[in-house]
Amino acid sequence: MSEESKTVQKPALAHLFWWFMFSQGGLFAAVLLPVHILVQGILGPLGIVPVVDRHYDTWINILGNPIVKLYLLVLISLPFFHFAHRLRYLLVDLGVPAAKSLPAQVIFYGVAILVTLVTIWVLLTTAPISLG
Amino acid sequence: MSAEAKTSARTATKTYRPAMGAGWWTKKRHYFLYMVREFTALPLALWLLWLLYEIQRAGRGPAGYYPPRSTAFVIFSVICLLFALYHSFTFLKLAGVILHFKVLDKPVPSGLIVASQFGAWLVASIVIGAVLIGFGR
Repeated sequence: MSEESKTVQKPALAHLFWWFMFSQGGLFAAVLLPVHILVQGILGPLGIVPVVDRHYDTWINILGNPIVKLYLLVLISLPFFHFAHRLRYLLVDLGVPAAKSLPAQVIFYGVAILVTLVTIWVLLTTAPISLG
Repeated sequence: MSAEAKTSARTATKTYRPAMGAGWWTKKRHYFLYMVREFTALPLALWLLWLLYEIQRAGRGPAGYYPPRSTAFVIFSVICLLFALYHSFTFLKLAGVILHFKVLDKPVPSGLIVASQFGAWLVASIVIGAVLIGFGR
């Protein structure tokens, strides 16, 4: 019996999970992000259109909505799982093979998890949940 | 195999290193664009961290909140938008390669899949833009 046939084939569940987070994060960043940057980052500050974050009352009102909170959690945290992978491989491509190692994976995906936790905390503490 | 051949084969295996310097991606336009695509993650991450900070600042109350209006911030956003558009364009275009569907035993053409992705992007942008502007004053 050869070495290879002795090894038990296990489904790569961890691989599946991180790959899923990578693709979903990339998709959400692709579909949702440009319009936020255009409206909140350019048109609003230039005063071309009224934007919800230009005044305290409108901004805090919409931030209290639970659906908006859930949306912002997805918008902010999921792309970081995509970014973690991309930046790790950017380093590998720039000649830093250590970015492939397990400690590097822990650091990069750890930051994505940290951003998720901070986002949850900010969304829960900034504006009280209200349906009004 | 002679002893000499064995030694030279072993040394050859040991000493082989792919000759690729850190600047390989500057040599061809295609490689460069690939690296730009990977790099888009950095400005997009920074912009999202800014958004998180903007949300957090709303917790300081009406007196402590002021919206961003500096030219530097607008320039930062313009740069981020260019990278965001490049990410969207390359990512959504890939769907035509990755996704395969069959309708009535016929494969859906990849052009149609890509068009549906871009259509979804357009609809999402209009809806989000309408909410961001519509709830403002």
